[in-house]
Amino acid sequence: MSDAASNDVIDQVERSRSSKIWNRFVGILRLSPTAAVGLMIILFFALLAIFAPWIMPHDPVAAYTDRVLQAPSAEHWFGTDGNGMDVFSRVIYGAKFGFGIAIPAVLISLLIGVPVGLIAGYRGGLLDEVLMRFFDGLRVFPSIILALAVVAATGQSLLNVVLVLGLLDSPVFARVVRAEVLALRSSNFVESAIAAGNPTWRILFVHLLPNAIQGAMAQTAVRAAWAVRISATLAFLGVGIQAPTPEWGAMIRQGAEFMVSGQWWVGLYPGLALIFLVFGLNLFGDGLQDLMDPRRRTAK
Amino acid sequence: MTLLEVEDLHTHFISRDIDNRVRIAKALNGVSFSLQAGRILGIVGETGAGKSLTAQSVVGLLRPPARIVAGSVRFEGRELTTMPPEDLNRIRGAEIAMVVQNPRTSLDPLTRVGDQLVRLHQIHSGGSLEMSRKRALEMMEAVGIPAPESRAKSWPHELSGGMAQRVLLAMALMNGPKLLIADEPTTGLDVTVQAQILDLLRDLVARFNMATMIITHDLGVVAHFCDDIAVMFGGSIVESGPVADVFAAPVHPYTRNLIGATPEQFQKGRARTLGGQPPDLYNLPPGCALQSRCEFATELCRTPVPNKEIAPTHFALCHFAGTLDEMKPKEARA
Amino acid sequence: MTNPVLKVRGLCKHFPVGGKQFVNAVNHVDLNISPGETLGMVGESGSGKSTIGRVILRLSEPTEGSIEFNGQDITHLPKSKVRPLRRDMQMVFQDPWSALNPRMRIRDLIAEPIKLHMPLSRSERHDRTEDLARRVNLSTSFLNRTPANLSGGQLQRVCIARAIATDPKLIVLDEPTSSLDMSVRAGILELLAEIREETKAAMLFISHDLGTVRMISDRIAVLYLGEVVEQGQAEALFETPAHPYTQALLSAHLPADPRIKVTRHVLGGEVPSPIALPPGCKFHTRCPVAIDRCSSVVPGTLTVPTGQEARCLRIPDGGNIIQRKEIA
Repeated sequence: MSDAASNDVIDQVERSRSSKIWNRFVGILRLSPTAAVGLMIILFFALLAIFAPWIMPHDPVAAYTDRVLQAPSAEHWFGTDGNGMDVFSRVIYGAKFGFGIAIPAVLISLLIGVPVGLIAGYRGGLLDEVLMRFFDGLRVFPSIILALAVVAATGQSLLNVVLVLGLLDSPVFARVVRAEVLALRSSNFVESAIAAGNPTWRILFVHLLPNAIQGAMAQTAVRAAWAVRISATLAFLGVGIQAPTPEWGAMIRQGAEFMVSGQWWVGLYPGLALIFLVFGLNLFGDGLQDLMDPRRRTAK
Repeated sequence: MTLLEVEDLHTHFISRDIDNRVRIAKALNGVSFSLQAGRILGIVGETGAGKSLTAQSVVGLLRPPARIVAGSVRFEGRELTTMPPEDLNRIRGAEIAMVVQNPRTSLDPLTRVGDQLVRLHQIHSGGSLEMSRKRALEMMEAVGIPAPESRAKSWPHELSGGMAQRVLLAMALMNGPKLLIADEPTTGLDVTVQAQILDLLRDLVARFNMATMIITHDLGVVAHFCDDIAVMFGGSIVESGPVADVFAAPVHPYTRNLIGATPEQFQKGRARTLGGQPPDLYNLPPGCALQSRCEFATELCRTPVPNKEIAPTHFALCHFAGTLDEMKPKEARA
Repeated sequence: MTNPVLKVRGLCKHFPVGGKQFVNAVNHVDLNISPGETLGMVGESGSGKSTIGRVILRLSEPTEGSIEFNGQDITHLPKSKVRPLRRDMQMVFQDPWSALNPRMRIRDLIAEPIKLHMPLSRSERHDRTEDLARRVNLSTSFLNRTPANLSGGQLQRVCIARAIATDPKLIVLDEPTSSLDMSVRAGILELLAEIREETKAAMLFISHDLGTVRMISDRIAVLYLGEVVEQGQAEALFETPAHPYTQALLSAHLPADPRIKVTRHVLGGEVPSPIALPPGCKFHTRCPVAIDRCSSVVPGTLTVPTGQEARCLRIPDGGNIIQRKEIA
């Protein structure tokens, strides 16, 4: 059939476009500048995290005791901190923690929140009420206090921080997925799936999940930003991450002490890095929501 | 008297997709027709043929990325495509009125029905509120709404489909239009209510001597309520003429299939089924848009297609118009 | 006479709406469908026709009455027991665009009923899917696409393929051609007629379009406000309709041929709300031949000389036939 043939030709032409990625990027830029800029920022930090061992001029935990609290110079671009460690290298290395905490935390949130949202939205009734009230309760608690309490009870470790953050943020995903499921569960294709004889678990995971997950996906970047921010705050409060680990929150904590005495570089640079990464994640998350909403799709 | 003259109208959708490629959908390709006072033109076609888009192009209601790229639309001699928005606004709702599908969603949900009629009249006539209210009641009576005084206080969501459609008609008539465009005015209404609305429409056209254009996919409506018919496909009018002529002896392959696919024809065992997908407006073939589906297509069809005159008012856009009966159709396409 | 595939008695469906009120969608409906027979169900808005289709398949719970499928009473069967029965009772929905999961491939959509109900190996399922695609005149090149890439007519063929995949005994079709363009409808109806011949499945064809129903049905049931007002052989019902509503409905249909003279009874008013059903004969508020008794007495079912069963108090005195007026 000529339609099939012409479609095949189109497919081939698509695959052979060498500048496809560049064009995709420009396309995203036109449709949502926020997403494009956010993406660039995230990629920048991701590259820092990946190539840290090769870019860092110094070992991030090497203490040069003869150069404690030196102002930024040619040798140490961001100066040195209270232990004589190179701030620049530490800031670069800190990017690893940003991603290393955010990604597992968001994954855990998804793993908990999405199935709960699916089941609560589909079943409704008492189960829905109970689950949602519980999750509402989680959200009402100030996360920092709760995180402090949990980590204090279970012990200081990175793993605990990640688990706590993952649990605390799952209500958001549960809510978003539940809302989509509520809208979808009376749609025709779900009814058609029931009429075909699908058992409930297939309805949830084969039919509803792929269609309901869009909203959750758009939220991941924003929630990752939250995870980065909270983990830095926890580290700032002395929870979870121990010195001399080059994590931005811990570095800011140290830097806060020295801010008053005039050594501004110890806290400023990790602070800026933190701000930018969180900013980039939020921008991207925002722009992603723009992109996902088909109504806003057409560029002029 | 010719009220509306549309000549060689081309409307395209121009946008960039997510891969930054420019995509152009040629939705209207050289549409030409005219409307006379007191006559009803029925425009039929499948989804995507360009029927509603034609109406929107005529009254200037296109939204980006759609735009008119060529052609002219002349209302009483005045060119509408280049008219400044303020002047166009004075004509819309007053001299040219439009009634759309889904009457209930076309009404302002937060304003009582009567007030909406009055509001529309006030915008264009600027007379006293009393005068507008009187006119609103008159129009509601004209469209057969029982107990207009109490009905005027209803909210749009309280109206049934048929009642809402009558209200839309009343709104269209408020300012005494010379031209009425009705886009699928009876789709979605019950058959028994359709009959009422269509009778009403024909009555109003005669009474107010309006030039009228009805867009529909229902051939039965065109057969019994329209004077002239224009069949659209792939953004062009493929056949046009008086209803009696076109139905009796359709000339274009698409029209022949369309009329052949009705239940009545099926009954007589003469159904011809037209398979295939709607044309891809982003990739129209050179020449005739129907090529890939047409059983009579030849190499000639890839060249620009002439609009052949079959009779003084009956036209068909086909190289082989008028000679199809002598031709042998190819194997039925999958 | 062979046992009917579907036997419905006294079926009612009332939806509670805000406190004490109910939408009386279906009111005491009796239906039979024999193997290989197609029953067309016609009605306008408020007639309850779509609701009946869903209740019969237990996609919606009946308020009263009984549903017997293949001799088994399925009215109160628990959901887990109904599921395996779905192998034999399938549905084709009105809007093919929304009836298919937009993220699944066509191949998987057609294969789904097979996967759920038939113990076939993967390759056997693959073959059967391709056979089904061919059977509904769908090019196999479409099997790896998603619904967004197919036209309405093609999508509806996919839905039909899904419905016949497990060789069901009963297929309920809810307005299967109403969302499709005119030029595509005939093709779908042809396909359904062929399938009916081959599979001998019983079909319940629900539609508001008389032209379509006439083409495919053996018998027809006309619904008004949740009741069957007339039921009988298709030809007889079209030639000599007995109930006033059937007559009005038939006359309102516009044939796509300007030469056919249309004689119409234009019914006044609109369909009353199913929340507040009129007393007596439900049609009396719009009936051109209603008499005083019609507003208080509920008509029973009578058989007319041409064979249909209809519920109208004026049948005995012959007043049920409306005089026709010719309209140009």
